[in-house]
Amino acid sequence: MTFKLFSRKTASRQNGRSGVGRGRGSLPPGVEDFEPAPLEAPESDPLKRLFQQGRHNTILRERTKWAEQVDGKSIVEKTETVLEQRMAMVPAGSVSIVQTLSSDPGQPEEEIDVAPFLLDIHAVTNARFQHFVDAGGYDALEFWPEEIWPHLIELKDLTGQPAPRYWRHARHNVASADHPVVGVSWYEAQAYALWTGQRLPTEPEWQMAASWHIKSSTDVLRRFPWGDAMDNTRCNIWSSRIRQTVGVDSYPKGAAPNHVLQLVGNVWEWTDSEYTVADESGRPIVGEMPMHVVRGGAFDTYFESQAASDFRTGQIALARSYNTGFRCAMDLRDATWINNG
Amino acid sequence: MATMTTTRTPANRSSTAGTIPCLICEKPNPTDVLACANCGAPMALIHEAVSQDRDPCIVTVVGDSNVGKTVYLGMLLDMLSKRADDFEAVPKGAYSVNLQHTVISYLASRQFPPKTAMEVDEWHWAYYQVSRGGHDAAIYDLVMPDMAGEALAAEVATPKTFTVIRALLEKSAGAVLLVDAALAAAGSTHPDFFALKLMSYLDGVLATKRGEKMPTPVAIVLSKADYCPECFDDPRGFARTNLNRLWNICETRFQHFEFFATSVVGGLAYGSDESENVVPYPLHIAPRGILEPFEWVLTKL
Repeated sequence: MTFKLFSRKTASRQNGRSGVGRGRGSLPPGVEDFEPAPLEAPESDPLKRLFQQGRHNTILRERTKWAEQVDGKSIVEKTETVLEQRMAMVPAGSVSIVQTLSSDPGQPEEEIDVAPFLLDIHAVTNARFQHFVDAGGYDALEFWPEEIWPHLIELKDLTGQPAPRYWRHARHNVASADHPVVGVSWYEAQAYALWTGQRLPTEPEWQMAASWHIKSSTDVLRRFPWGDAMDNTRCNIWSSRIRQTVGVDSYPKGAAPNHVLQLVGNVWEWTDSEYTVADESGRPIVGEMPMHVVRGGAFDTYFESQAASDFRTGQIALARSYNTGFRCAMDLRDATWINNG
Repeated sequence: MATMTTTRTPANRSSTAGTIPCLICEKPNPTDVLACANCGAPMALIHEAVSQDRDPCIVTVVGDSNVGKTVYLGMLLDMLSKRADDFEAVPKGAYSVNLQHTVISYLASRQFPPKTAMEVDEWHWAYYQVSRGGHDAAIYDLVMPDMAGEALAAEVATPKTFTVIRALLEKSAGAVLLVDAALAAAGSTHPDFFALKLMSYLDGVLATKRGEKMPTPVAIVLSKADYCPECFDDPRGFARTNLNRLWNICETRFQHFEFFATSVVGGLAYGSDESENVVPYPLHIAPRGILEPFEWVLTKL
């Protein structure tokens, strides 16, 4: 059931933010030349609508119920195929999480075992997030923690509509449909993940996926998904000179061994974990508001070391940054196509 | 390709009778001293200018203490040295690299660089040849000193406290004024008043004729704009609302001015030192809007 907490004032449809007379900002690409994505008519059948919206794991959680309806079984099977293609398994392994700001050798680390899990091959795109916006996700309180309810009204786009910060009239820009969605807070990322029946990866899971420190006889840990040396032809960071986000399937040579793309560069990725860190003397370092861990660097990450698989940093959970997006994860037990196969 | 040097009274820097005039204050100095005895400018910079047989353009970066001048300048120079967009910068002399080296080393280890000392002989002076590619290719010889905010405040409050500052500003072909957008967005009037004082001082130093608008281009950079993303959406609108005194003096007294939004830090957190003082930490570095003000100033030179 969807509860409506706020009624939002409909913003003017006038597309009147020309570049003239505003000084020189640095808006993300696509904000100046904006062509709104067309509206997609929603399917009337509930199962087909869930499939259309990309809520695949939500379907699988009630697969028995859906399989009983006409065409239900084939849609469930199709759902499994989509998830199989969209997600990759990250094997069991272990990670070392540095506990201090400095990552110099000798700093305290926490060793954490990571169980196998499934991770999106791509970051969530604008096109995928559009389904959540169109379905009224910003008003569906069951996907938002209670502490954020008073702030939900502030999560709006450039025209005052509930949507990612750099959208207009609750539409994404057609030209960046396949780019990662940015301008979303941790809460928006988490709400989307829950809505699709998934979740955000934890910090150890994210590091495991990027460092590929699997349990094996060889103790191999990668600084980057492709190996130990930075190679800016395999990712989109400042030195790659792109200066904006790219489509989520770019840089195939930068993939992890399980074909997960762009764990390094393009956009920082929200994780489910709170960011806690201390200085070298053990004194806590905190943000002005609670922070969550972001990982992987973005198109504007200046220091290559800050895009490495073991680099920890955080963002205020309410920050809606132009360079931060997310990808979703799933527990292996939910992967019916694996467990039943 | 055009070569851009200063248009302001180039001095004859021929060494006469074992002395050489300072590039900044024009006072003669023995050729073997390290810094100008009058204003403290490093003589290495003057010797370099002599060897070029042309005076460089001086672009000053001014603003209040803690507004981010050192970080902005160091980041800008480092980006230019790494060939950012159409620009490339080559340092003229090893001393020029010190500023970017210091700033980058601190930021890479997730710390802010220490405050610039009040003493002129401890300032970093950057002298670079900057080239711009593309169809309107040009070369600029630029001197950009990293002045201490406290020294600027002292000179503005009591002129002639720091003669080097007045001399530098008199010779400036362009200026970059940094204003703390985060503080202004939080409702403080201090950034507006300080910027107003500085612009008024600049007006007094640089104005050509009484009543005429000042021709020197001034880029007004709203620093720490990561705190208030609306700065990036509409810098002018932000200034008109939150820095209205500054906005008015710009419109009234300056021919060429433009507002820009800038940030260097992608995430900020706070700790404390042994004396329980709050210490800010840059968690990661994501430069944004650094080149634009500089590029704009160059186009107006």
